Amino acid sequence: MKRLNQLPTFRIQYGKELSVNFGQKRCRGLEGDTIASALYANDVRIFGRSLKYHRPRGLYSLDGECSNTMMAVDGIPNVRAENTPAVDGMNIKAQNVFGKTPDFDMMRFMDELSWAMPAGFYYQTLHKPSRIWPLAIKHIRKAAGLGILSPDFHMRGKFDESYISTDVCVIGGGPAGMCAALSAADQGLRVVLLENRPWLGGYFEYRPREYQKGVPLYQRARELAESVGHTPNIRTFKNTAMIGSYHNNLITAFQRGNKSDIFTERYLEIRAGSVVVATGCIERPLLFENNERPGVMQIGCAHRLARNWGLLPGKRAAFSVGHDLGLEAAIDLADLGLDIACVADIRQDSYDSNLAAELEKRNIPFLPGWVAIRAHGSKTVNAVTLSSINATRRRKLSCDTVVASAGMTPVTGPVILPGGKLTYDNHTGFFLPATIPPQMHVAGRLLGLDDPFAIETSGLLAGLKAAADCGKPVENNLKEMAKNQATLPGPTRGTKLVTGPVKGKETFICFDEDCTLKNINQAMHRGFDVPELIKRFTSAGTGPGQGGIPGHNLPMYVAETGESPDRNPKPTTVRPPLVPVYLATYAGSNHDMSKRTPMHDSQVKAGGKMERIGVWNRARRFSSDTSARKEIENVRNNVGLLDGSTLGKFRIFGSDALKALQRVYVSDMSKVAEGKVKYSAMCNEDGCLMDDGIVVKIDENDYYMTASTGRAGQTIEWIRYHTRYDGWNFHMVNLTDAYGVINMAGPNARKVLEKVTDADVSNEAFPFAGYREFLIQNMPVRAMRLGFVGELSYELHVLSSYMQSIWDLLEITGKEFGIQKFGLEAQNILRMEKGHVIIGSESEQRTTIHDLGLGFLWYRNKPEAKTVGAFALKDTEHQKGRLKLVGFKMKESGTRVPKDGSPLVDSRIRGYVCTARYSWALKEPIGMALVDDDLCGEGTTLNIYEDGCKGKLLSAKVVSMPFYDPDGKQMRC
Amino acid sequence: MAFTITCPVCGIRRGYEFRFGGEDKGPMPPEESLASETWCEYVHMNNCIAGIQKEWWFHRDGCGSWFTIYRDTTTNQQVENR
Repeated sequence: MKRLNQLPTFRIQYGKELSVNFGQKRCRGLEGDTIASALYANDVRIFGRSLKYHRPRGLYSLDGECSNTMMAVDGIPNVRAENTPAVDGMNIKAQNVFGKTPDFDMMRFMDELSWAMPAGFYYQTLHKPSRIWPLAIKHIRKAAGLGILSPDFHMRGKFDESYISTDVCVIGGGPAGMCAALSAADQGLRVVLLENRPWLGGYFEYRPREYQKGVPLYQRARELAESVGHTPNIRTFKNTAMIGSYHNNLITAFQRGNKSDIFTERYLEIRAGSVVVATGCIERPLLFENNERPGVMQIGCAHRLARNWGLLPGKRAAFSVGHDLGLEAAIDLADLGLDIACVADIRQDSYDSNLAAELEKRNIPFLPGWVAIRAHGSKTVNAVTLSSINATRRRKLSCDTVVASAGMTPVTGPVILPGGKLTYDNHTGFFLPATIPPQMHVAGRLLGLDDPFAIETSGLLAGLKAAADCGKPVENNLKEMAKNQATLPGPTRGTKLVTGPVKGKETFICFDEDCTLKNINQAMHRGFDVPELIKRFTSAGTGPGQGGIPGHNLPMYVAETGESPDRNPKPTTVRPPLVPVYLATYAGSNHDMSKRTPMHDSQVKAGGKMERIGVWNRARRFSSDTSARKEIENVRNNVGLLDGSTLGKFRIFGSDALKALQRVYVSDMSKVAEGKVKYSAMCNEDGCLMDDGIVVKIDENDYYMTASTGRAGQTIEWIRYHTRYDGWNFHMVNLTDAYGVINMAGPNARKVLEKVTDADVSNEAFPFAGYREFLIQNMPVRAMRLGFVGELSYELHVLSSYMQSIWDLLEITGKEFGIQKFGLEAQNILRMEKGHVIIGSESEQRTTIHDLGLGFLWYRNKPEAKTVGAFALKDTEHQKGRLKLVGFKMKESGTRVPKDGSPLVDSRIRGYVCTARYSWALKEPIGMALVDDDLCGEGTTLNIYEDGCKGKLLSAKVVSMPFYDPDGKQMRC
Repeated sequence: MAFTITCPVCGIRRGYEFRFGGEDKGPMPPEESLASETWCEYVHMNNCIAGIQKEWWFHRDGCGSWFTIYRDTTTNQQVENR
């Protein structure tokens, strides 16, 4: 298809060619083409097939308001071809087509069967008898739905998110939106301007009609866009569709990236002091038989195809319109070379007589009071039948294009979503917002304005109102602007007609769901007689176009029937997202944000198998041996080094610090002495274990404490929560990232430490459960003797910046003593051999410290402290029917290790395995389990049911813990 | 998502920055002579007011303070006061 000669309104660039593949067909396009315009330029008329009846579908609105032009692009289904720029090499497929090309669809017989599928067909037919329903589901599922997503599909691209605070957010970059942005920016406010199309300008942008003498509208649009571009405090987002609007002036949108952008799509959340809605209007579809046949399109579609992309919609067009924009388009398209068969206008008068005269000048037949009632042609349009509105006269004209539009419809979504209410306005024929949420203003064509100056002035006015919301003293400007507005033409009278005299069998009110006027009549006949019910029964307006096509026609049609009990039918509720959005865009950044310890790089270098645990990356083990045997045995026999930097670390100080500790820890924290570590636990109100850790007294009213890795983020919040009524004087500092932790454990640990410090670290000078501060080569260290893994061990808390140095020093010094790194897996088995619990592994939300055998930590004689959980600990101390922690071994030697999480059963479930591993120290599998309290006696048999065991249970017996070194000699020596 | 909270330290911030701390039920009653039922009532039961309620919030991604606000649970908007 030949494109028009260069026009000033073009958005394509001659000379810059590209090509896309449409099925087998190679389509040539130009830079600036959308997928839709590129295909149209290559004579593609049928873009896909409809959902139910497999009717051919083509371009209609050119703004992606229906599923007609949703296509599969590079494996992504339901891409809106009208809004997506064509990229060289794209692979495009038509959807819902059974056959090679959308021109021939093997399911097209469905259209002939439409009589057999009235509205609500599936609800009514396929459930009797009930056994056919599962079969029916299978076949309906196959036929239903639009687009196919391959299970192997991998979504490419970068998805970003941006959270923007601004003074004024303007939705819609047409003339009113731009004026609003400019007038608000003029007051020194920060403005965000959102526009769905790739350029600003709205209804001005492509029209050659005169704005002022010698200035066409498109030129005016460019002037405005230029001033917006030059205003530094206006941030313009083009290619950006608003998808949600919420109270407190929160606007959500998503932006499609250009070639030069770093993102494919970006989710935006904009919080504004004030919002201006200048979303304008879309065209209200005219309903007639075959009103969605390819070749039937709206005014804007036909006009913009020619003006923006140089494509005449066809050779010979008939117009059936209800707005002056239609007459204007007919004149302009005639001048560009389109043969216009006639222009029928719903309105008998109230059209612009100058435009009628222009039509006459060009010998275009003008038929006021006429309307299209049927499009002919099996695949694309080849003729149209027009009728006078009173149905007394008809005429059939041959044509390949029908430009049809009943009038305009305001885009009110942004006002409705946060709670604005619509009422029907008799003058404009619009459903207009009667109540508008606070700090929100509307402007432009949305109000029914048509005069360019009135539109611009309403924008300026809304911008000033927004400025007033933001506290700018603009009362006088406001008064003046309102006076200006009053002198300009107000809203124009709009059409109310939905459809001419038609039967309605092939008159589609909703394209996405293949819903006809006949279906609406059927629904009403069955008693679904208000729009919300009709919508649900017929599914009109539930498709991906989000009601863009049926939105206002449905209530107007229902009102016209006079059969609805609702005297004032309203449009059905719209909900976010207002336009289809990728889930990937909502998901946002796919950059995994995790924390690294100061040792991260060197651990990776040493072959550490890193694993994500909570927010942290940690080394699971340092070899490919999943049992970590070497690491374990080296800790038991020589000495090992573990990076424990993920431990939560806090300073808590102030005159009431001890009171706070007494509140959250179950033990008597007044016993915390200098030079000693105190191990204790935190419970919730139910006495269930939340956290455990140690507390060290650094100085008077100054404590250092640790929390388990997973709890580090909540510890401060927890302590402050439980002291929130007390007004105590204490402060907390989260030192988790400031300090790293090295756990050096094994019989040779002291020998290593002695070599690197001058401090006396003998068992007498630094005994078990002791706390010392000393220097390792001038680097300060907080050292504790703890026994989590059951060997002589030193936990060294070191400033993060010194971590690597001290670690390296220990490794070099310890070489002669067989020092080795060990990872989490080794630690997990080592601590299990000692019967030490890890919160979350051996405890759950309902596990009290009594259940874990940690009841000895609880000090019951401090009621004045109001310790969190103390009351429940008292209440549950001897409670029956709780799950208790026990250790177990396998009954028969040589039995394999049961899987973590396997349930324990007799005639019912009696508990589950928490952790079970092969113990190299004991040379047999050991494990810990939470079991019903009557099973916790030593020697009791536990039957373990594993996934897929086919009834063959593993047999274990309860044994006492710890498994290894029950007297704790190793860690105390 | 649109919910905002006015933190006494940081001012109006988006609701996501905060963590909900439940209805304001006053301090824990003293442990001595506390009946299990009373304890359970205090710890686990809520009034679930449909309307304006006083409640605790924690500014997790901010200053880290606990404070109370009044919120209309029917509109999910912070309100000045009863």
